[in-house]
Amino acid sequence: MSWWPFQKKNRVRKRDFILDFLQKASKPIPGTRAISRLEFVVLDTETSGFNFNKDQVLSFGAVKIKADSICVASSVEWYPKVEIKGEKAATIHGLVQTQNQLEPEDFLQKLLAYFGDGILVGHHVGFDLEMLLRIGREFGLEAFPNAVIDTKFLALRLEHGPRADFNQIKPEEYSLDQVCIRFGISLDDRHTAAGDAFLTAQLLIKLLALAKRKGILTYQDLMR
Amino acid sequence: MNVIVNRVSEFLKGYPPFSFLSKENLSLVAQSVEVRYFEKGAFLFQKGNDALPHFLVLKEGKVELLDGKETKEYCEEGDVFGVLALLGKRPYLLSAKAVEDSLIYAVPVEIFEEILQQNSKVALYFAAGFASGQVVVRQDLSQGQIARKTFKTQPKDHSLLIFSDQSQIKVSENVRVAPPHISIQQAAKLMSDHQVSSLVLVDERRFPLGIITDKDLRNKVVSKAKDVSKAAKEIMSTPVVTQPKNADFSDLYLTMIKHRLHHLILTEDGTVQSPVCGIISDHDVLLSMGNSPAVLIHALNNADSLAEMRAIRDRAEQMLRYYLDNEVAMDFVSSVMTEINDTIIQKATERVKKELDAKYSECKTLKFAFLSLGSEGREEQLLRTDQDNALIYEDVPENQNEQAHTYFLTLGTGIVETLIACGFASCPGEMMASNPLWVQPLSQWKNYFSDWILTPTQDALLKASIFFDFRSVAGDSTLANSLSQHIYDSIQKKKAFLSFLGVNALKNPPPLGFFEGFVVEKSGEHRDQFDIKARAMMPLADLARLLILSHGVVGINNTFRRFERLAELEPQQAELYSQAGKAYEILMRMRALEGLQHGSSGRYIDPESLGKIQRQLLKNAFSPISELQQLVEIRFQLAYFRT
Repeated sequence: MSWWPFQKKNRVRKRDFILDFLQKASKPIPGTRAISRLEFVVLDTETSGFNFNKDQVLSFGAVKIKADSICVASSVEWYPKVEIKGEKAATIHGLVQTQNQLEPEDFLQKLLAYFGDGILVGHHVGFDLEMLLRIGREFGLEAFPNAVIDTKFLALRLEHGPRADFNQIKPEEYSLDQVCIRFGISLDDRHTAAGDAFLTAQLLIKLLALAKRKGILTYQDLMR
Repeated sequence: MNVIVNRVSEFLKGYPPFSFLSKENLSLVAQSVEVRYFEKGAFLFQKGNDALPHFLVLKEGKVELLDGKETKEYCEEGDVFGVLALLGKRPYLLSAKAVEDSLIYAVPVEIFEEILQQNSKVALYFAAGFASGQVVVRQDLSQGQIARKTFKTQPKDHSLLIFSDQSQIKVSENVRVAPPHISIQQAAKLMSDHQVSSLVLVDERRFPLGIITDKDLRNKVVSKAKDVSKAAKEIMSTPVVTQPKNADFSDLYLTMIKHRLHHLILTEDGTVQSPVCGIISDHDVLLSMGNSPAVLIHALNNADSLAEMRAIRDRAEQMLRYYLDNEVAMDFVSSVMTEINDTIIQKATERVKKELDAKYSECKTLKFAFLSLGSEGREEQLLRTDQDNALIYEDVPENQNEQAHTYFLTLGTGIVETLIACGFASCPGEMMASNPLWVQPLSQWKNYFSDWILTPTQDALLKASIFFDFRSVAGDSTLANSLSQHIYDSIQKKKAFLSFLGVNALKNPPPLGFFEGFVVEKSGEHRDQFDIKARAMMPLADLARLLILSHGVVGINNTFRRFERLAELEPQQAELYSQAGKAYEILMRMRALEGLQHGSSGRYIDPESLGKIQRQLLKNAFSPISELQQLVEIRFQLAYFRT
């Protein structure tokens, strides 16, 4: 009964590292924790396309923010091994076959250890997380329990107020490029996963400073 | 090195002390950087607090260092500060506050300590800074110029000195002073009794209050029929400009030029709060100098032969070298050299016209203007590189046309030949007043410009970049003014022309390659050399011209003055424009020095032959170019034009 959707899932046994991650990442963050004491994982991926069913993650880049500082030492750039079907996609993003490609399981293990209980941040981060889950599902990971912040919506909220309606705003105004330009961030290394993650991280520290000025001081203020 | 670490190290390596680090160490440092953001008004650290385990590099924005409320220093991009943290955990001596929203790279001291032990150059760099009481390790452009001066060996050859030392100038120590309450008449009598042209009014401590000169008596007393029994202090010029009595001659001279002074008062400690001890007049200065601009121009005006003019222009080049070696301000240097070049052209015009007028008596009263184009038109020609010029004359009746053209062509050719004799190279593109095409009546010039503006072909745009910077040097400037007016009117009617100019301005190849190396010539005579003119100076000159034309500003031709004006017109871009102006000055200086050293046009520079600091300085000078190009691209919507 291959059309039965729940069967396949149940068949995958969760690996130990996934159980460890789920336990750690599910622990709630106290609402009163000050923003400067939160840990953010700012990430971006490059993919072979936009189709969740067909396309794959080609590269993953991320950097952490602790105590309001971007720690360059925490920056990573990983390339999960992909079966190259169409070389077209790879050339579009300028990603040539790199060395150090990681087996999917190794990649996932590293990724989850890296995420820990951090708050996952990205511009359109939902897309990146969904693409990453494609790898995760093969090993029994159904979802990332971490708190998630999309800088696109954070920027919108800070610029247009908490009740802003995204449908009223031109979507291109909230592209990563446009938001970065507005916040005076120079668009270096655009369209590499790590480069975009670094841009997003700079955007986040600027947004957080703006948030504090508006009286958003704690985790619960931020996530509301 | 991943993309992020690489990005950070790319930034750091542009600035000392990071520029001295090996690749491995640089990557080690970059990897340990923490990026922080401070909004305008926020404090980075406070005076008296224990030092952070980091020292700080300003990535973007602006930070001021304060002692209490008093600003001690401003930090610009690339400046390193909070360095005392390196010397152990001492409290900060100053507070640091973000004046603009600022992005900071914090470098852990820990990492750097190891490097200090290994790399003596870096250690020395910091030590030198501390020894001189520096709180910031500076790296903006203007400071870079100073840095270059310190790193440069002093020139050994003093035979070229134009400024003699002070011992050789006669400073009048016997300065005439008087109390402020004496009458105007008493003051005038004192001056005439002692046969001096100036009188300094002082208080009872002999501190200077003001100065009275012949000119004041002329302008404020005699011409106004002022009552001479009034107090002398009513007509004194105040406040007075002073210098210490042991100041360098060059300081004295530059002070006088800057403030347009005829008399400069010397005091014990150089301020107005100390006794007067001497006075120096422009006449004293003139006598003490052989190669001053004033002397050279005077000599040119009195020169009888071509050979003499050439000799004087050669001397001007020695003066130029002295100015450049001594980092004299570029606007001063270029003004002086322009004045000298202009004088030669005026002199040449006068000579040639005199010879011709006997033959063409009907034409000698026709109005004309000799136009300098290109760099001389922009008042920035330091070396005798290509001459670009043209001649414009008033419209004449049909029947006189041919004769007028012959007359002015002969005149133009004569002037061009004189300039060649004075050592100016001729223009390979024949854009000279000896080319019949470029000796034309006003109406024809208007047609030329209209054509270029209405049909901006490749060739027209190339001409625009040379002809648009015209400046009337000899003859009747009203013709040139009317041509300017015509051009601005035409552009107003066809704004799209600006976009074409913009495309042209963006056409120049970028000066730096992907790996931040200089893009050098691939082949030919100048293989492996860097073309400073085409890759760095022309883009800036083109951009300045385009932007100033878009504001409809007439009469400012000089590139860095155009940037100055632009900074005033667009305060929100003031920073970028002033950086661009400074960059242009640096490029002019480098090119002129290169040219003087090799007896060439200075256009091609071998990057390998430059010192580290100079290379860095040059690279820093490029950064405004790409920023400006982006600005122009957006402002003139060039994406549509570049398909």
